[in-house]
Amino acid sequence: MNVLKRTALALALPFVLFAGWWVLSADSENFYSPPLSAILTAFGDTWTLDRIRADVLPSLLRLFAGFLLAAVLGVAAGVAIGLNRRLRAVAEPVLEFFRAVPPPVLVPVIMLFAGIGDAMKVIVIVFGCVWPILLNTVEGVRAVDGVVLETARSYGVTGPARITHVILPSASPQIAAGLRQALSIAIILMVISEMFAASNGLGFTIVQFQRGFEIPEMWSGIILLGMLGFGLSLLFRLAERRALRWYEGLRAAQRSG
Amino acid sequence: MLEVKGLKKVYRSGEREVEALRDLTFTVARGDLVCLVGPSGCGKTTLLRCISGLLDPTAGDVRVNGKAVDGPPPGMAVVFQEYGRSLFPWMSVRGNVELPLKQKGVPKQRRHELVEQSLDAVGLSGSGSAFPWQLSGGMQQRVAIARAVAYEPQTLLMDEPFAAVDAQTRADLEDLVRQLWKRLGVTILFVTHDIDESVYLGQRVVMLSSSPTVVQDELTIDLPAERDQLTTRADPRFIELRTRVYEQIQAAKKNVA
Repeated sequence: MNVLKRTALALALPFVLFAGWWVLSADSENFYSPPLSAILTAFGDTWTLDRIRADVLPSLLRLFAGFLLAAVLGVAAGVAIGLNRRLRAVAEPVLEFFRAVPPPVLVPVIMLFAGIGDAMKVIVIVFGCVWPILLNTVEGVRAVDGVVLETARSYGVTGPARITHVILPSASPQIAAGLRQALSIAIILMVISEMFAASNGLGFTIVQFQRGFEIPEMWSGIILLGMLGFGLSLLFRLAERRALRWYEGLRAAQRSG
Repeated sequence: MLEVKGLKKVYRSGEREVEALRDLTFTVARGDLVCLVGPSGCGKTTLLRCISGLLDPTAGDVRVNGKAVDGPPPGMAVVFQEYGRSLFPWMSVRGNVELPLKQKGVPKQRRHELVEQSLDAVGLSGSGSAFPWQLSGGMQQRVAIARAVAYEPQTLLMDEPFAAVDAQTRADLEDLVRQLWKRLGVTILFVTHDIDESVYLGQRVVMLSSSPTVVQDELTIDLPAERDQLTTRADPRFIELRTRVYEQIQAAKKNVA
């Protein structure tokens, strides 16, 4: 299938849905679900460059800070736990517990000691999205092939080089799966943390619109959020495909062989 | 010089004990090419892992150039049977050959020379930038041999390296091993279950019994140093020798039954 055809197929359903929304809401008198045309007009008026700089940018910065910090912590702890059987026996039940706690309930608690500034929001994001990264890294590290490890050992690939050249690349497909899950959690927590206590940000702005009964503007914010999430996951997929080209190739070779 | 003295390995899992190696004693002189042959399941791989320092023996010891082995010895390279798992799929062919040299602290320029020379020696000079999984099985095993050769080992262990390649490729690779051995003056211990292969390749053949393993017999292969697949294998002396080895292996199997 060529690229054009694939793009056309991928865009068909969103187009139909938007068209349906447009037609069905065209003569809507309901205050809470205004016509799509009104929402789109509000979109253009609301999300100006100034607005993006004042509200979207801070949100994105918090998101990236939280996501990157969670990635570093999750991968580092995951490698340590994955390589050490005793550490794993001690840590695994605790990890399962922390993972089971829904992160939004921690927002008020974290507010108590981290205040209501950016630090609080970043901590909330880190706390929510570190778990899938960590647990996937542990699995990936445990699944490293025994022959690969023996080869590394017999050729003197030990210490830090063993981690960077053998363990991490070998676990990278699972790590990427964890990061992908974590990214969508990070977006959710970014919005939620801004809804609790903030003076700017996307979550904050959408709640402001809702409280001020600016319904078309509120809807436009929700559309923007959806687009942001979609764009970020698309970017992630592109980066992932690039970094894991060897893995796709290996799997294709194994299927045909 | 490789000395194996009174080597014994017992695997324990809970209450059960499995004696894989009972009492093995043999030596490989410096610069010799010795083939170890035995019935399938006779603990060849266990023996090789003990010699390469990847596994601790229950009793007895292994000495390489007079030094007791208690971990992978620095001057030793191993070619594993599972080439598909022993090469790192996330690295190019060149990267795979170069990594052990980097770990050894070989300067960059010399590293490049060694990589190119050894890829050239196994007939893969054009494939340096390919990934291992893009190559055929026989070519992948050539990469593994190039990695071992580039490491400039004094001792080379080969664990049934050609068990998984087709017969024609196998004949080519056997000649490659003889040729590299003559050129580099390295000590080679070659493990195989193929009787013809052991006689064709070795200067000496050590025959193992079934598990629990002891040395069944040893045989010096007094064939001319220049060997080739057609004339050597048709040589009456070759046939005599392979019959001797075959008889011993059959006797070893009967002793168990």
